Amino acid sequence: MRTRLIAAILILFSAVCLVTPMASAQGTIKIGVITSLTGSQAAFGEAHKNGYAIAIDEINAKGGVLGKKVELDFYDDQSKPDQAVQGVSKLVDQDHVVMLLGAYSSENTKAIINPVSTHQIPLIIPTATADNVMDSKSPWVFRICAGANDYARATLEFLKHNGSPKTIAIVYEKTNFGQANMQAMKEQATAAGLQVVAVEEYEAKAPDYKAVLRRVKDKNPDVVYFGSYLLDATTLMRQSMEVDLNPKYYTSAGTGFAAAEFPTPKGAGRNAEFTFSVSQWLPDAPWPGSKEFDAEYFKRFNSHPQYHAMQAYQSLQTAAIAITNAKGTDAAKIRDALKNLNLKTSAFGPVKFDNGQNLHTVLITQVQGGKYHVVFPANLADVKPVIPAPRWADRK
Amino acid sequence: MPRFLTDFIQACMDGLLTGALYALIGMGLALIFGVMRIVNFAHGAFLMVGMYVSWVLFDKFQVNPYIGFLISGLFLFVFGYLVYRALIQPIRDRSDFMQILMTTGIALILVDSVQLKFGADYHQTIIDLTNRPPFSFGAFTLNRAALLSFVIAGVFIVGLQQFVVRSRTGQALRAIAQNREVAPLMGINVTMIQGFSFALGIAMAGLAGGLLLPALYLFPSVGEDYTLKAFVIVVLGGMGSIEGAAIGGLVLGMTESITSAYLGQQWALAVDFILFLLVLSLKPSGIFGRQRA
Repeated sequence: MRTRLIAAILILFSAVCLVTPMASAQGTIKIGVITSLTGSQAAFGEAHKNGYAIAIDEINAKGGVLGKKVELDFYDDQSKPDQAVQGVSKLVDQDHVVMLLGAYSSENTKAIINPVSTHQIPLIIPTATADNVMDSKSPWVFRICAGANDYARATLEFLKHNGSPKTIAIVYEKTNFGQANMQAMKEQATAAGLQVVAVEEYEAKAPDYKAVLRRVKDKNPDVVYFGSYLLDATTLMRQSMEVDLNPKYYTSAGTGFAAAEFPTPKGAGRNAEFTFSVSQWLPDAPWPGSKEFDAEYFKRFNSHPQYHAMQAYQSLQTAAIAITNAKGTDAAKIRDALKNLNLKTSAFGPVKFDNGQNLHTVLITQVQGGKYHVVFPANLADVKPVIPAPRWADRK
Repeated sequence: MPRFLTDFIQACMDGLLTGALYALIGMGLALIFGVMRIVNFAHGAFLMVGMYVSWVLFDKFQVNPYIGFLISGLFLFVFGYLVYRALIQPIRDRSDFMQILMTTGIALILVDSVQLKFGADYHQTIIDLTNRPPFSFGAFTLNRAALLSFVIAGVFIVGLQQFVVRSRTGQALRAIAQNREVAPLMGINVTMIQGFSFALGIAMAGLAGGLLLPALYLFPSVGEDYTLKAFVIVVLGGMGSIEGAAIGGLVLGMTESITSAYLGQQWALAVDFILFLLVLSLKPSGIFGRQRA
């Protein structure tokens, strides 16, 4: 009786042992994604999700990676940094993902850098532009997008070649993203000989920025540079009209000012006209796969993608290539594969990480007729910039 | 006119426009406190529900928020009455502590239910009126939507005040506020009247929520700040006085607007509470004196 029981237990035990490795062997390669599916940045989390969805279907249609299907494991950080941190533990410790992509915002991305390094898991950052996400110099962290310093540099370069204005005011939302872009612009504008006449921060959540904009108006700057998310960007432009703020150039650090919704009636509508923005990618960008991505995105989601979706798409594509090159899912090997990666071209342009940072070209766009058009650098431009922006009183 | 003066007047006018909505919110809370001695920590949550009602009407059925706010008000009147009968009435004679727990609990349930149903996303309600150039005269400009909200709020503020002072039900409300033991001896149905005033107070929050919708971002915890602000308003105006609350609301709106014009927006809420503490410690009966009996 007793031997039988032991035998039964042994059989059961070995069966479990047999089944478990089999399950993972024929299973999938899991990649963890942290992004803001809900909360104040849900619009961008949605763009991420759509970009990832297209990439995963393309990858699996080609037979997956290392002969296995790739599976995405999403963690919604609710637009909150503490949630993003929990996401790292959940995805790595419980779900055993082989690498991570995310988060969306600079604030949340900064929060996950330390946990990512301690978990020793490779991370590709798709969209966080604050340069302090790269401060840790962690060998596990790779960023595919350009950063706040690149934004400021590109904007100043554009201004220098287009009328060379003298004064600039910086208006920014007061989390990591806005602060980083303010800091970068303040330093570089001063270095470039522009006078910074106003630096104003605001709380994105409370939608009354008129007092801030009136203080900017008092200084009568040639240029206004905004570091803003989507809802605040639309409100800022509406209230700029209300307080009749008329700089020659409305410029911005992308994000809200580069969101698909921004120039539409659901966003700032006509008030978005003539605003400049940095951009990391547009559907007409001269890279193979750009147009195809745009077409596929439009087919699925009935809207044109902005660069956030492309960055998510390319992050996952890059991850798949790295895992293929690593010939396995060992974290250190994937990390080294990313380090040695040298993509001559992709839908997002060349991808090559220098100390974790991808060197990416920043474009300047302007909203004209409700659409984003590239206006700088000149060799990539599809229209001429309208300068100065017409005064509000003269707009129809 | 010198520049500093026009700036100051502009800030005051912007403050008055917001203040009228604060007044509506504060009056609702004052009514509930005055008639029932119930401190309603769910006031902001009810306001948030009012915003969502209006937003759903706008988003799903293209109902303009300036019509939708009436439906928000009606909805919350009925909802407020049901909440009163089911949850508040059973504990109305228990300790204050019990009431605080109950109303805080109601607030949590409302916020989390809305989050469950609609998610934590931020929504913005853009109507034609908000995107139109502002109404301007001389050196001054006023947001058209805010101006319309101000006018509507003004009508309801005066209406509510007149109702409480003149109508029979209003007299009954005041009788209960003055003396709850004697009021029933005068033939007043205390339970009915208390239920009515709770519902009316919540309806005011609902109306204000509908009117605030075009001016705010909408998310489930949007009401939290407003619960706190409502308390500041009620304390400014003298606990339980609805006229006081109306003036308290206008004062708070102007204080915030002037603070953000001169010190920066991030200071507005801090100054609210400094004002609150000053009034509580120096003149607990409220800036406008006469404490209600």
